[in-house]
Amino acid sequence: MQPETAYQEQELLFKQKKKNLSKKRMDYLLLLLPTLGIFIFFFLLPLFFLFITGFKTFDASSGVGNDWTLENYTKFLSDTFYLGVLWRTVKIALLTTLVAIVISFPVAYQITKANRRIKNYLTLIVLSPLLISMVIRCYGWVILLSNNGVVNNALLKFGWIDKPLTLLYTEFSVVIGMVHVLFPYMVLSIMGSLERIDPSVIRASQNLGASPIRTFFSIVLPLTLPGIFAGSVMVFSLGISSFVTPAILGGPQVKVMSFLTYEQVAVMLNWPYGSAIGFLLIFIATITIIIYSKLLTTSKKGVAIQ
Amino acid sequence: MRKALPKFGLNFFCLLVYIFLAAPIVVVLFSSLTTTEYIVFPPKGLTLRWYTELVNHPEFMQSFMLSIGVAFGTAIISTVIGTMSSIAVVRYQFRGKTAIMQLVGSPLLIPTVVFGVALLQFYSWIGLATSPAALVIGHIILTIPFVMRLVVASLVGFDRSIEQAAMNLGAGSMRVFFQITLPIIKSGVIAGAIFAFITSFDDLTVALFIVSTDVVTLPVRIFTYMQYQYDPIITSVSSIVILLTVVLMVVIERVLGVGKVFESKNE
Amino acid sequence: MSYLCLENVVKTFNKTEVVKKMNLEIKQGELVSFLGPSGCGKTTTLNMIAGFLEVDGGKIVVDGKPVHLLPPNKREMGMVFQNYALFPHMTVFENVAYGLKLRKVSKDEIKSRVAEALEMVRLTGYEKRYPRELSGGQQQRVSLARALVIKPKVLLLDEPLSNLDAKLRQEMREEIVDIQKRVGITTIFVTHDQEEALAISDRIAVMYEGRIEQLDTPVEIYNHPQTDFVSRFIGEVNQVQGKVVKTLNNQESLVSFYGYEQILTRHLAKNSVIDFYIRPEKIHISLEPNDGIVVKVDRKMFLGAKTRYILHNKENKHIIADIPNTVLNPDHVQEGKDVSIQWNSEDLLATKK
Repeated sequence: MQPETAYQEQELLFKQKKKNLSKKRMDYLLLLLPTLGIFIFFFLLPLFFLFITGFKTFDASSGVGNDWTLENYTKFLSDTFYLGVLWRTVKIALLTTLVAIVISFPVAYQITKANRRIKNYLTLIVLSPLLISMVIRCYGWVILLSNNGVVNNALLKFGWIDKPLTLLYTEFSVVIGMVHVLFPYMVLSIMGSLERIDPSVIRASQNLGASPIRTFFSIVLPLTLPGIFAGSVMVFSLGISSFVTPAILGGPQVKVMSFLTYEQVAVMLNWPYGSAIGFLLIFIATITIIIYSKLLTTSKKGVAIQ
Repeated sequence: MRKALPKFGLNFFCLLVYIFLAAPIVVVLFSSLTTTEYIVFPPKGLTLRWYTELVNHPEFMQSFMLSIGVAFGTAIISTVIGTMSSIAVVRYQFRGKTAIMQLVGSPLLIPTVVFGVALLQFYSWIGLATSPAALVIGHIILTIPFVMRLVVASLVGFDRSIEQAAMNLGAGSMRVFFQITLPIIKSGVIAGAIFAFITSFDDLTVALFIVSTDVVTLPVRIFTYMQYQYDPIITSVSSIVILLTVVLMVVIERVLGVGKVFESKNE
Repeated sequence: MSYLCLENVVKTFNKTEVVKKMNLEIKQGELVSFLGPSGCGKTTTLNMIAGFLEVDGGKIVVDGKPVHLLPPNKREMGMVFQNYALFPHMTVFENVAYGLKLRKVSKDEIKSRVAEALEMVRLTGYEKRYPRELSGGQQQRVSLARALVIKPKVLLLDEPLSNLDAKLRQEMREEIVDIQKRVGITTIFVTHDQEEALAISDRIAVMYEGRIEQLDTPVEIYNHPQTDFVSRFIGEVNQVQGKVVKTLNNQESLVSFYGYEQILTRHLAKNSVIDFYIRPEKIHISLEPNDGIVVKVDRKMFLGAKTRYILHNKENKHIIADIPNTVLNPDHVQEGKDVSIQWNSEDLLATKK
């Protein structure tokens, strides 16, 4: 009877184990807990409270008053100065996106065509701006673009201009700086779709009698549109909400939404108004992304954003 | 010949773009060597004076150490909890997964300024004093999306029969994770950690709101300094940071072969 | 005395039973194949034996001990995976040594046992290579060595050859059987390739819709399929219809196949119509016009040692016959001409629904 009892004993042990197994199904909650905890407590909750603040009155002593109001939003939307800031923000982001597309495509194309070793080096060069401090890079642009900076000095030396051009603290300098910061996202995105093109498709096109240039415009370019779209969404949404570049290269002269938010909160101590401006910015960023993805899904060539 | 011309045009254009990319960095590096009292490029004469001058500005060193500390803390915590969440998201089926993915991805969409303001308000309400830890929490939220994106990507293509093989040979689940799973997704995890480190080290926006007189990170220090001063000391500080970044990348590349991460990314 | 035993094993996914009360007994040292179309439950059953899936009912017993509730790492089973599942970050040596290290085997013994295992799979000298530096066949051999070096109680092979090309597949399967017989290990071999199963198995379990349809030796499976599914799944068959003309006695009946009458040694009800299966190679062709069922030759295909004839009779019933060229010279058969076919009554495969 020895084996029989041993068997039963084991069976009992197994029942215990079975219990543990069903506990295992909740493992994912434990794994998610730290991240979710931090996000709920230090991300959702603060944003929610800030949103609420946007509907409070301003109080000169404590920043946030006790009464409810819609004034913060109506003030922004009825004042041409503030609307001008909004328009400037969108314009700068759009220009940045356009310039980024124009300079990224050839680079992405060159990298994908290059052989393996060169490709790795080029990719590293393109990605390296991401690794070096944004503040420092913007500072480099300050040196380049200021009134007695590198660019102006060179132009004066060649006699192309008589007096220095105002390059710094203009929309121009902000766009230049933002293109520099956001360029890698666009290149990576375009490279992604260029590499997904099956080389036999290109050969097929040439085989059917299309010239290389024709092939480029009728095959390669349309097939990279999803990558260009995805990159544009990324660059645009990062562009309208970016703070560091406009703050350093634009300053108070070229106010954008994010700088306005900072100014209201940190300088004016008007928390409710800062909150309203911030959430208008979030609203616009979200709307653009929704419109972009709608455009993508409705267009027949639309391929989902990666 | 007809083919050569467009190719030359392409290469020339790309060269211009690479010069554009390198310009601000090169300018900072060279300006730091000037003998003048003001920033000028090309530098007039060559001197390391602005580097020795740093001795008289211990606040830069303090800020540098603080930034390194915060970035380390952020990278470690963010990578550990981000990897845990990535495993949950990739390996388990449960309701609300998409919502969770959207939540942890949303810091990329929310303007950092707004998040910084919100965090500052929240901290002052709950009475959490400005501290490196408060900053680390903010940076964890900024970096989790990068970490999870990279780790999830390396887990998605993961062939689970490799884990089954290890289990079959007698390894328990912890052992399987540390001896099999982790080494295989290593490059994604390390890339995530590096991204987290750099993002945290680089952050100005959130840090700007969570500073006090004794908690000033390097980007904030540089930012405020250059609003009042225009002397080459900033270029020497910046150059040190640039050089350290390059050294760090080379070391990581040599020791761990993270080049593979970039390699696999563009394949 | 059976060594590996499945008793009423059940597996349910989303309320559908994918393995239905499966019973199976495997003797020590035996090689049993699980053969069936995809979705028949063969891989699910294997994963339950290995412990990667929990059983939803029933028992799995190995060497007298129930194992079905043990985690996979406690089951002492060696497994070889379809995609090899080698650890990409370890060398060949480290891969094979992994299981031994977990068992706290001494360094010297690990060395000698790994060397022995690699010699068995003819990979001595490859210790320092990484899996990505090996060919598919070599990777699969490492996988086999890794599974066997821990001296498992049972060896599980999950479609181990399906990622290899045809020629290598034949070589590898012979090698696997050879090693299996030498080591004398109880083995389960999952495959969807019937030729493979027929060639290497001691017994085959033909599976369909979560059940074992038939468990038998390859010869029995091929020559005496017990169910309709097995008849159709293993080898090729022609379906032919017979009408019972009369019952001669308790053991014999006279059956007419499209006018061709034959005595079958079984009792069948008069006037009933029954489907039979006949394999293409069991059909004889006679050039005489009235020597069996008269058929017209649609096409003939030269297949090397044999020729395949595609035929149809007056009722437009299509029949395939494979005849060795040594028996019938294909030049003598012309497409579009009438010939007659016949078969031995014992070659007819019964259908049981």
